[in-house]
Amino acid sequence: MKVGIPRGLLFYRFYALWKTFLEELGAEVVVSPPTNKVIIQQGLTYAVEEICFPAKVFLGHVLYLKDRVDLLFIPRLVSFHKREYNCPKILSLPDLVRNLFGVEEERIIGDEINMREEGIRGWRRGFLNIGKHFTTKESKIMKALEQAEKAHRDYQNNLKKGMLPENLIDHKAPLLPREKKIVLLGHTYLLSDSYINMNITKKVNDLNYSVITPDMVEETKKRYYLSTISKPSFWTISNEIIGTALYYLKEKKPEVRGFIHLVSFECGPDSLVGELIERLLKREERSLPYLRLEIDEHTGEAGLITRLEAFVDMMEWRYSHLESHVSSSTSS
Amino acid sequence: MKATFPHLLHLDIALGVLYPNLGVEIIIPPPITQKTIEIGVELAPQNACFPLKVTLANFVEGIELGADTIFMAGGVGPCRFGYYGPIQKIILEDLGYDVNFVLLDHPRYGVRPFIKALQTMAGGRVLSSRVIKVANLAWKVLRLSEDLERERRALRAQVKDPQKLDEIIEGALERLRTVDNEKTFQSIKEETMKGLENLERKETEDLIKVGIVGEIYIAQETKVNFNVEKILGDLGAYVHNSVSTVEYVLHTLPFTRSREKLEAWKLAKPYLKRFVGGEGIDTVGSAIRYAQEGFDGVVHLYPFTCMPEVVAKSILTSVSKDYDLPILHLAIDEHSGEAGLVTRVEAFVDVLERRKKLKKRKLEVS
Repeated sequence: MKVGIPRGLLFYRFYALWKTFLEELGAEVVVSPPTNKVIIQQGLTYAVEEICFPAKVFLGHVLYLKDRVDLLFIPRLVSFHKREYNCPKILSLPDLVRNLFGVEEERIIGDEINMREEGIRGWRRGFLNIGKHFTTKESKIMKALEQAEKAHRDYQNNLKKGMLPENLIDHKAPLLPREKKIVLLGHTYLLSDSYINMNITKKVNDLNYSVITPDMVEETKKRYYLSTISKPSFWTISNEIIGTALYYLKEKKPEVRGFIHLVSFECGPDSLVGELIERLLKREERSLPYLRLEIDEHTGEAGLITRLEAFVDMMEWRYSHLESHVSSSTSS
Repeated sequence: MKATFPHLLHLDIALGVLYPNLGVEIIIPPPITQKTIEIGVELAPQNACFPLKVTLANFVEGIELGADTIFMAGGVGPCRFGYYGPIQKIILEDLGYDVNFVLLDHPRYGVRPFIKALQTMAGGRVLSSRVIKVANLAWKVLRLSEDLERERRALRAQVKDPQKLDEIIEGALERLRTVDNEKTFQSIKEETMKGLENLERKETEDLIKVGIVGEIYIAQETKVNFNVEKILGDLGAYVHNSVSTVEYVLHTLPFTRSREKLEAWKLAKPYLKRFVGGEGIDTVGSAIRYAQEGFDGVVHLYPFTCMPEVVAKSILTSVSKDYDLPILHLAIDEHSGEAGLVTRVEAFVDVLERRKKLKKRKLEVS
């Protein structure tokens, strides 16, 4: 049985897990190709205007797969962290696909994965239900999940070591390591889709910086720093972004020179969390520069490069200024 | 302590009844005007949803009148509303306002902060017989204010003198502000209802019926939604609004559930299988209910980029097709212009009227 996984939204986070799980259950997995112009155009045609750009791109990938596979893998990821949620759009993906494209319910694997109340039990139940599309043997499903979780841990560990999803999924050669770092904040699906982010990681690398993404930071560290604010958000990915920002803000690593926050224009959580991060940064003494880059279907590459270069210039000027200031004040 | 709070249609009337009776001094923020909106737009994050901006401006205008405390409700997501509090708080702090921001949040964020916030908001005690009595009266006032608006929407196209209708309702709402006992409340209620009954009616037949669905703030707050329901009524439509603060509160309290909401959720199920935050699923379900009740069209009102409502909008496209129900989507924010909106509503009403005539003719032929 051919099962299609649309390359968008949470795909970049759960790629290894989903692929392994489905293959262990005997499915032939088809992943849609990297985002291209046609996929974006199709997404734009079908999606309502105001939905966020990554959701439109996701819908474009679904459309690509729709008639090429037997089943579409669009699980309803309500929550993958206790007491937290994903955003409303992610919560409704299987419904959006059904209603916008008229895909029959039987052709969508849209079972709910929800750790919000029950934690790991909600996770397991979700995968058990997904597995039942392929087999009635629960033991087989749980074994597949075990294998999948192992692949997921390996995937995450590789990300922690500084690999990007594109290195692991498409085996692209890693970028050159640089001494100076920029923390690249944002949802994994924006940071990892080099077509819609206009290859920002490469552009930053060409400017002689390496990026650090939230995926590269230890979970416990992100969660610790998150807990220092009075009310964390209820969106898991946003919380990871806040935690990452605070971690590098407070630990003041000399190689980390600034933050770039990639957001999509219509993203609800980003609109609030971006503001929060910017204000928390401003409050800090000897803070780090912060640039917010908004991405949507109208973003032009030239403008993005200009803003990026101006930011890096400013960052370097500021750094050398602060350094000379600090050294002169300590020597006097 | 002088506390202020956000506006939401006539919430200020109910809270104005509640608080003085609890011994809590409150400052009702000035009515929402263009200036309010400008303040909110200047201070709030650019891409935040519109209600965050307007309610933030309510706080600022309340503080300028002397408030030193803010009462705000929180939430557990996934809609942005639940995170308004922390964002508005940090913005006010950065502006240099020294205020106590009391956030009544879900007990899941801590039972102690919840009880503490509740105590502060209740003037010290939580469950004295006095609190219960006053809360009950304020609740009735809130209900009546909604009932009056329901009458106003239904009657505008039916009465000969809509101005008279407005006078009666506005007069009653003003009188409700000073209610402090059950007896006065009842007499206001009875007099107003009688006044409405006695209004002279036009000879109308077959009014087009329009239902309003959408997000709780924008769909109700006539001061920011350009009073779409009045525009519709003036164009000759019978209007009903499915969005209600009373139902929202009932559904949020631990031991009550809103029957209306449960029904809408059930209707929405074939299209949207679960709660997606805010009123997303209510919007879908209520639109279906209007279709089943024979309404001629639905107006969908929501803040621009509202996540649950954008989901609802996507799904309403197939509801509209399946039920042959015209739906007008109106996204509201600071860039919405009145002229454009009126034109769209007029065109929509035109379509509904033509459809109605056509249907009638078809029936006569067959």
